[in-house]
Amino acid sequence: MSSFTLYQPRDSGLHRLHPLTKLTLTLCGVATAVVLPGFWPNYLLFALFLLPLAAWGQIVCPLLRAVWPIWWPFVLSLFLVQGLFWPGGTPIVTLGPLSFKQEGVLFATAMAGRILVLIGSFLLLSLATRPDALMNALTARGLSHKLAYIILAAIQIVPRFQAKAETITAAQQSRGLETQGNLLRRARALLPLLGPLILSSLMDVEERAIALEARGFGRRTLRTSLILLSEQPWEKGVRALLLLATAVLILARTVLALR
Amino acid sequence: MQLSLQDIHFAYAPDAVALRGITLRIAPGEQVAIIGANGAGKTTLIKQMNGLLKPQQGQVLVGDWDTRRYTVAQMARRVGLVFQNPDDQLFKQTVADEVAFGPRNLGFDAAHTARAVTAALEAVGLPDVANAHPYDLPSSQRKLVALATILAMETPVVIMDEPTIGQDGRGVQRLGEIVASLSENGRTVIAISHDIDFCADHFTRIVVMAQGKIIADGTAEIVFSQAEILAQASVTAPQIARLGAALGLPGVPLHVESFIAALRAKKGET
Repeated sequence: MSSFTLYQPRDSGLHRLHPLTKLTLTLCGVATAVVLPGFWPNYLLFALFLLPLAAWGQIVCPLLRAVWPIWWPFVLSLFLVQGLFWPGGTPIVTLGPLSFKQEGVLFATAMAGRILVLIGSFLLLSLATRPDALMNALTARGLSHKLAYIILAAIQIVPRFQAKAETITAAQQSRGLETQGNLLRRARALLPLLGPLILSSLMDVEERAIALEARGFGRRTLRTSLILLSEQPWEKGVRALLLLATAVLILARTVLALR
Repeated sequence: MQLSLQDIHFAYAPDAVALRGITLRIAPGEQVAIIGANGAGKTTLIKQMNGLLKPQQGQVLVGDWDTRRYTVAQMARRVGLVFQNPDDQLFKQTVADEVAFGPRNLGFDAAHTARAVTAALEAVGLPDVANAHPYDLPSSQRKLVALATILAMETPVVIMDEPTIGQDGRGVQRLGEIVASLSENGRTVIAISHDIDFCADHFTRIVVMAQGKIIADGTAEIVFSQAEILAQASVTAPQIARLGAALGLPGVPLHVESFIAALRAKKGET
């Protein structure tokens, strides 16, 4: 498997699940995160639903390592923006003209939990599912192979960008660019790092499009796959139950909101 | 400037050991080519030389600088590393600006930077494209621009990663001239390459790597006469050397001239 995916191969029950079952789990997790009210339920959802699933897939550490660098910038900005700029509210900490509002902090706590589950759900899917197997499962259910490719490319873009960014950073440091240090120095280093990343990515797009066409991507013929997907007899039932439970949750939440 | 690597060990992961006890001394002005199969540890080794990777055991000294005590940007004053893919670094609007990026980072003043840029572009044969956008040039020329960006930094050690990829005959010849010119000026040149003919033609010392170790180190004539070592490293000797061996010529001819001389010597014998 290419290093440009997050997929972590393991011999686990989670990995053996049909890709559509894992996709259903993810989408239900996302929907639940959005509709769950209150400040703490999403943290419980992460701890009691996503982490046990990750443990079943033997990928707790990779999941936490992948979640953290994406989650903390959101958390930081949420707490700063909501805490400092919440209209009105009760100040809990005052620093000169700025004060943290209790309501803003509570809202940020709730939103951070929601984002934690959103990120965690998608990363769990990415870590436990081969992207090509997922696309194969979706195209077998009638999804256009072009759309499948777009989804696959989107899944792969983060690790691909990470690998490219590491190489670019190394190349620019080798030309004397200091990327560590104070905020100003780091800000100055952004353009030499982002410039080649964007330019080379645009060039990659052109090369990739040519390479795909050269391999018959645009042909309208019946496609077969080398990947054989297996499905446990009970998986369809689990998917139906998950969808039903999520639908009930959304309905209940809507009814409660309308009251 | 002397480069000294003492018993270097490095692993990316417990089951991905890249270097296993590398000891290597490179004198100022030497021309060293590092060859070996993919995965032999060549790239890891050159990344140790400019501090991009730090040894997990052992010591890398560039002059009196221990790479563990300096950032990569600081090491760039002494070691210039030309990456394989030029598109990993080019971002300025003109070639001249791109080449000036390194010297400016190193704190060269404007006049010094201008001189360094002009000299570097002349060295790579691209003085006429100084005002062109780097991405308007073909990839072979972008690769030479990337080399010029390092040459302009005037580092005592220049390392090139696969410099001949994408170059035509003229480009390879130009690269050979650059290697010779740098060496004449006392600058150390190190290259990792799969282009064995380029290594044999332009480097006085060949280091062969396999499975994270140096398995041969010497002149091209000595290294390319050791068939077993080359087989172990999955390296094929230059074609002309293999032809010489097949004809039973004395020595290891690496150039047309030495081949003819060896052929004449053999004819004279018979």
